[in-house]
Amino acid sequence: MAYSDKVVDHYNNPRNVGTLDKSSDEVGTGLVGAPECGDVMRLQIRVNPETQVIEEAKFKTFGCGSAIASSSLATEWIKGRTVEDALAIKNTDIVKELSLPPVKIHCSVLAEDAIRAAIGDWKKKNGVAETAATAETAK
Amino acid sequence: MKVVESAVPVACWSCSVAHNESTLFCPHCSKIQPPPDGDYYSVFGLTPKLEIDLAVLEHEFYRLSRKLHPDRFARAQEREKEWSLADTALLNDAYRTLKDPLRRTEYLLKLHGACIGEEFAGADGNGRRDPSRVPADLLEEVFDLNMQIEEMRAARKTGAIDRELESNLTEAKEKFQSLLDAVDADLRTQWRAWDAGNGAARGTAQKAMVALLDRRRYLSNLLRDVTETLGA
Repeated sequence: MAYSDKVVDHYNNPRNVGTLDKSSDEVGTGLVGAPECGDVMRLQIRVNPETQVIEEAKFKTFGCGSAIASSSLATEWIKGRTVEDALAIKNTDIVKELSLPPVKIHCSVLAEDAIRAAIGDWKKKNGVAETAATAETAK
Repeated sequence: MKVVESAVPVACWSCSVAHNESTLFCPHCSKIQPPPDGDYYSVFGLTPKLEIDLAVLEHEFYRLSRKLHPDRFARAQEREKEWSLADTALLNDAYRTLKDPLRRTEYLLKLHGACIGEEFAGADGNGRRDPSRVPADLLEEVFDLNMQIEEMRAARKTGAIDRELESNLTEAKEKFQSLLDAVDADLRTQWRAWDAGNGAARGTAQKAMVALLDRRRYLSNLLRDVTETLGA
């Protein structure tokens, strides 16, 4: 099975690889794994407390090319978005952008899970209730 | 793949006597049969269970292999020659699957509708993840160990030897090996529960085994990487 050019590009030149200070209140960390393939993905965000905009996003993924590309793309997409906007990213968007074949769809699911986990962690740290935050933006 | 219970008798092409559809040879006239539709267990006349008698499996495998040998069909009809090759391929697949404890477990659970394998990857039928299948307690350790492995590989490239890192990894290797052994022991316990149980008990054991197989995959990938790094 051949990887799409976009996957190869992200794999060879992954964007935003790295670590953010886990102990900072502005940082949310999501650590997720796919048991079947043994992949593990960490995605971190630094959120501006005033604007709720994700100003920095970093990832580190141990896994296949598709998992690395999915998380690399995810960090690119969430940077500059507000927390609530970032939650709107669906794994299917990643599948489309990277032309992932059906057997690699779970890699995109993992990336979506990682975004949610990172945002969930940030919300927990900052005492933002999941539903309250959604209600805020709905106003 | 079909479960043996659903097998319907088919008539032998040669003597027309009905036989179990999974036999490679007609029990009545001993003529070779086309590759049967039944599951791998029925090829060997075994009951579909997780704990099997490996000696019986091996004995049957060699006995049937000899009976299927192409030399025995040198003067047979053309279709019998073809069947002997097709049956041999089936026999080999069946043997390889059943003799390996993990492949056997995955095979039998799949026969009973379990979703196992990379194509499912912790997701339910709609591509959504079942959170209970991700071993969260392991994630942190898995991630840290992967980081150490990477660090060690990078150090190796520059020719540096980090004794502390090396001993950390050796320790981790031993720890993950013992975790893996524990998973295998748990799997065996679930095998017995599944074999002895029916209905609900089987369902519970099946769920436990799917989770154990997930955990095992994580651990064995890690062990492979640690071993490779240490041995490099």
